[in-house]
Amino acid sequence: MIRISEVYKYRGHECVINGVNLVIPQGTQVGLIGPGGAGKSLLMKICAGLVRPDSGSVLIDGTEVVGIGDVEMTSVRSKIGMLFQNYALFDFMTVEENIGFPLRQLGGRTEEEIRDEVNRLLLAVDLPNTQKLFPNELSGGMKKRVTFARAVIANPPILFYDDPTAGLDPVTSGKIFALLEERRERGGTTSIVVSHDILGMRDICDSFVLMDHGRIVFSGTREEIEASTRPFVGQFWRGEADD
Amino acid sequence: MQALSPFKLLSRFGAAFMEVALDVGGMAVLLYKVIRCFFPPKLDGMETWRNLYKVGVKSAPIVVVTALLTGAIMVIQSGALVAQFDAFGLLGWGAGFATLREVGPIMIGLMFSGRVGANNTAELGTMKVTDQIDALRALAIDPITYLLVPRFIAIVLMMFLLTIVGDLTALVGGAYTGQVLLGVSPSLFASSVIEYIKLEDLFNGLFKAFTFGVAIAVVSSHYGMTTSGGAVGVGRSVNNSVVASAVLIFVLDYFITSILH
Amino acid sequence: MTKHTQAYVAALSPTQRRIAQLGVIFVPIVTQVTEILRVGSLAFYYAFKKPIRWREVVQQSFFIGNRSLAFVMIVLGFLGMILIFQSGFQAKRIVGDLQGMGALYLQLLFREFAPTVTALMLATRVGTGIAAEIGSMVVTEQVDALRMNNAEPIQYLVVPRLLASIVMTFVLSCVALCVAFGTGMFVANTVFEVNVATFYNTSLLEWGDLIIFSLKALAYGITIPIIASQAGLSAFGGSEGVGTATTMAVVNASLAVTILDFVLSGVGYIFFFS
Repeated sequence: MIRISEVYKYRGHECVINGVNLVIPQGTQVGLIGPGGAGKSLLMKICAGLVRPDSGSVLIDGTEVVGIGDVEMTSVRSKIGMLFQNYALFDFMTVEENIGFPLRQLGGRTEEEIRDEVNRLLLAVDLPNTQKLFPNELSGGMKKRVTFARAVIANPPILFYDDPTAGLDPVTSGKIFALLEERRERGGTTSIVVSHDILGMRDICDSFVLMDHGRIVFSGTREEIEASTRPFVGQFWRGEADD
Repeated sequence: MQALSPFKLLSRFGAAFMEVALDVGGMAVLLYKVIRCFFPPKLDGMETWRNLYKVGVKSAPIVVVTALLTGAIMVIQSGALVAQFDAFGLLGWGAGFATLREVGPIMIGLMFSGRVGANNTAELGTMKVTDQIDALRALAIDPITYLLVPRFIAIVLMMFLLTIVGDLTALVGGAYTGQVLLGVSPSLFASSVIEYIKLEDLFNGLFKAFTFGVAIAVVSSHYGMTTSGGAVGVGRSVNNSVVASAVLIFVLDYFITSILH
Repeated sequence: MTKHTQAYVAALSPTQRRIAQLGVIFVPIVTQVTEILRVGSLAFYYAFKKPIRWREVVQQSFFIGNRSLAFVMIVLGFLGMILIFQSGFQAKRIVGDLQGMGALYLQLLFREFAPTVTALMLATRVGTGIAAEIGSMVVTEQVDALRMNNAEPIQYLVVPRLLASIVMTFVLSCVALCVAFGTGMFVANTVFEVNVATFYNTSLLEWGDLIIFSLKALAYGITIPIIASQAGLSAFGGSEGVGTATTMAVVNASLAVTILDFVLSGVGYIFFFS
């Protein structure tokens, strides 16, 4: 379970996260949506302990992550898998080394076991025979799938997806969302998905959180959002322009 | 790593050589294009003024600090020798000569290349990878006259002027260190400078500063304008630019020194 | 300046405002220096902690050496010729005797030029390289990915570069010394007709020169990668951020080398040569 309470973050004198409260129950997948610059990615990075908020608290499975050092974070981070917006593949490692990296860092497995696990996952994301390639030899969609594989290889109970379909064509986006859906159906993972792609997100999240200007504007299930009478919520959900 | 066959080694040398030749050629063409813009003068007045201010203000503090330290180091290094021969009257000459003719222009040139040259490459490189240069062309604005000529003027002029400032601060730093470390009074230091150092020494150093300025301007603009490959490409360009500038500074210095004697 | 600060500054008297403006100069310097010290102390903490990625250390050493050997040799080669040219003509004019030139030159190379000029070149070559590499990793979130996998970026990225740089700065300084002495000897022989055997004269060398040479190489070898890594780690934004980080790395590293040179030369003079 992730419990975010009263989180504030300032950049200069501008408030970029403005008093966010949110509880994400165990085993649910939450879609974090909203216009660009609403603070979605930043909120996710705060949850991962990568950015320190100015005030507030974030509890992950009962452990406070705000204000603790990287050493104490170790046990929390080994529970989290993260898919980064800009791929964040290590460009000095091959695909195989990249995907195996989390397992190697956790320790306790032989090289053989790691290789088997990597091969199994590469098949699952439909990228056979790419083990020895380097990230700069892959297309955008392939890189996203490699990042996905790296995020999930250690079977973390918590998954953060930061804009998993940014810059992809609709067909490739569909494939990525299918992978996310498959993960969710296995059950047991608590996850947050940040995206602009509402069409793709509709069917794969248990509930949605709409953010704007650093605040949570609305949160609820798909049915609740569709029933909402607030103009901003309806407009954003249907992708209509402001007038 | 597999062993290289002689043929492969040769082709690798050839590739490296071609790369260097391409860069040198590119720089020569760039220099020609920039110089052509002066006959008749075609340049953007506001942009030039802005660049002069930016380059001058940005690098003045670092040049002053470097020059002060350089003067001091020169005195420290000649200190033992001067004390050994009891030739305190020669301290001003030794430190002053070395600073004005060699170490001053070289140190200021290296610092200037790091501060201004690297920045110039980074700026132009970012504009290149984000397609801003093409956008200028699409608006029928010549990137050479609009971007490069003002930077060229700013870099050459400021390098020249800052070397004058730097030479002076280096002498002050030297005189002060001489007093603290060796007990040579500043007046003795000054009279030694006035007596032994000729105006020619100063001009020699300033001529070097001028050529270094041209080299830094051409090299940094060339690598900036040929950047490709996003953020990684910008980093690589800056790296190439400062390295090429440093090599050129020493090579030019050698030829100027050996020809002017 | 934000609106808030502007209002505050407007309320100050002219004298107070002038004092406040000093902050504009000093605050960035102080924050940067503390940041460099933080990265430096963390790097040392992790350098004495297992595990150290020795394979990466070897690879980085190879990179540093491979990338800068030719560069350092060209620059120091030309520097050697320049120095002998200048000092030869002056010595001929003032002293009239060139026999002692080689011994003095060798001493000066040890104390000053070989380690310092090599370090200035490494600051440009290796410094920008490290800053560009780590900076691109920061802006493409690779550093965040490392942290998410419990690989501390300083331990993972900075420590191997630090260890490699300490070794390679010393090695390259030795190479630089030989090259500069060789080209100097060449000019002395061809232009001033000083005999090679006369030029190669170690009579003025003392233990102090060797100690200063090693101390300088060690200090530069530690400082350059730490300053460059700090610049890279502080990158933000896209390609612009990487550009700013690399520029910051060259400037800070060259300035640090100059300051260290001043301090260590002063220390050397007071302890060994006065």
